[in-house]
Amino acid sequence: MPKGLREIRNRIKSVKSTGQITRAMQLVASSKMKKAQDAAKAGREYAELLGEILDTAAAKAGGLEHPLLTRREVRVRGVLIVTPDKGMCGALNSNLLRAALEIPGAAFVTLGRKGRQSLARAGRTLLADFPVTDKAAFAEVRPAAEFLLKAFLEGKVDTVEVLYAHFKNTLVQAPRLQRLLPADDLVGQARALREKLGLPEPKVEADERDMAFEPSAPEILSRLPALFYKVAVHQAVLEAKASEHSSRMVAMKAATDNSKKIAAALSLEYNKARQAAITQEILELTAGASQA
Amino acid sequence: MPLQVEIVTPDRRAYQGAADGVTLPTALGEVGILPGHIPLTAVIAAGEVAVTLGGKVTRLAVDQGFVRVVGDKVSVVTEAALDVAKIDLAAAEQAEARARQALEEAKGSRDPDPEGLLRLEQQLRFAAIQRMAKGRSSSSAD
Repeated sequence: MPKGLREIRNRIKSVKSTGQITRAMQLVASSKMKKAQDAAKAGREYAELLGEILDTAAAKAGGLEHPLLTRREVRVRGVLIVTPDKGMCGALNSNLLRAALEIPGAAFVTLGRKGRQSLARAGRTLLADFPVTDKAAFAEVRPAAEFLLKAFLEGKVDTVEVLYAHFKNTLVQAPRLQRLLPADDLVGQARALREKLGLPEPKVEADERDMAFEPSAPEILSRLPALFYKVAVHQAVLEAKASEHSSRMVAMKAATDNSKKIAAALSLEYNKARQAAITQEILELTAGASQA
Repeated sequence: MPLQVEIVTPDRRAYQGAADGVTLPTALGEVGILPGHIPLTAVIAAGEVAVTLGGKVTRLAVDQGFVRVVGDKVSVVTEAALDVAKIDLAAAEQAEARARQALEEAKGSRDPDPEGLLRLEQQLRFAAIQRMAKGRSSSSAD
């Protein structure tokens, strides 16, 4: 067999086996995507209702001072960046990191290996790094949330923001920067959340009577914002996971389709070359026979 | 006009519907809510929520959380909630024993993980609440 033919055959083989790998990755990503999307959707209602409760409580209590609700001069922005651990998910990582590098005066806390690696390489301030698995359980996210909460209360950072890949649908994910602390504009935040999720305005029953608090208003307002903040962080992580798996599935599907296309083109080339070789051989034989 | 009751947990909407009255376990003891109640925000302790509609009572075991009552709408957010009728007593007891054992092991270890401890305590608390709520409903049925 001529050398050109063997080369083409080897390339077909390697393209096909790459295609098999990307197809397997696509299938894995699509099943994980389904789970992550369901988890993200299920968590929304809880986060939203909690926000509403905090909202009415803050409005009814009126003029209550709370460190988590008070805005102050911003010197250092605390940014929690949620990234995948792995690549192979299209432009998701590079989009997120580009958005991260555009934030001035930011100190980062990373959730996910890719963010840590790239920000460390870019020489940005890293406060801490936390791992998170695909399950993204509340308990896994809580250490990162509590770390930033503590930094905020101690004055190490003056805001807490979360940068993550917002899940619009399976094909569209965009980086989104959301400010969580200080939570001084709860009504606005709740409205932004509703717009984001496509939920209707809640029918808040008009009730002019004073609100009772049990055990007491300060007690509730010291616990609610912290819980709301943690749930909001968790929700962002769930969405980031849904985005990651969707993006990976789409990227792997494109790779699988490409490998099929390349394999088809190479097969055509291979068959042409083989036919040319056979024709050449026959020509040589007949030429040899007529000489004899 | 009847009350509107909703109970929401991080993974699902555990209950939604109209009610004539609802009893809530708060940090200061049980609170009964009837239509026309004044606006209220309260801390919920782990315990049992009883929703009454047309003489029929639905009981749910809930973990700690918050409740808001505004204009005859009762919204409960809690970490976990389960209909008492659906509680599997054996499973709850097993979960309780498992959580208790794991908790003791974790506390005995040299380097306890505070997050893990919190989670185990929550599991233990909720399993115990399920057992108590189930025990009460079955004894009242006899």
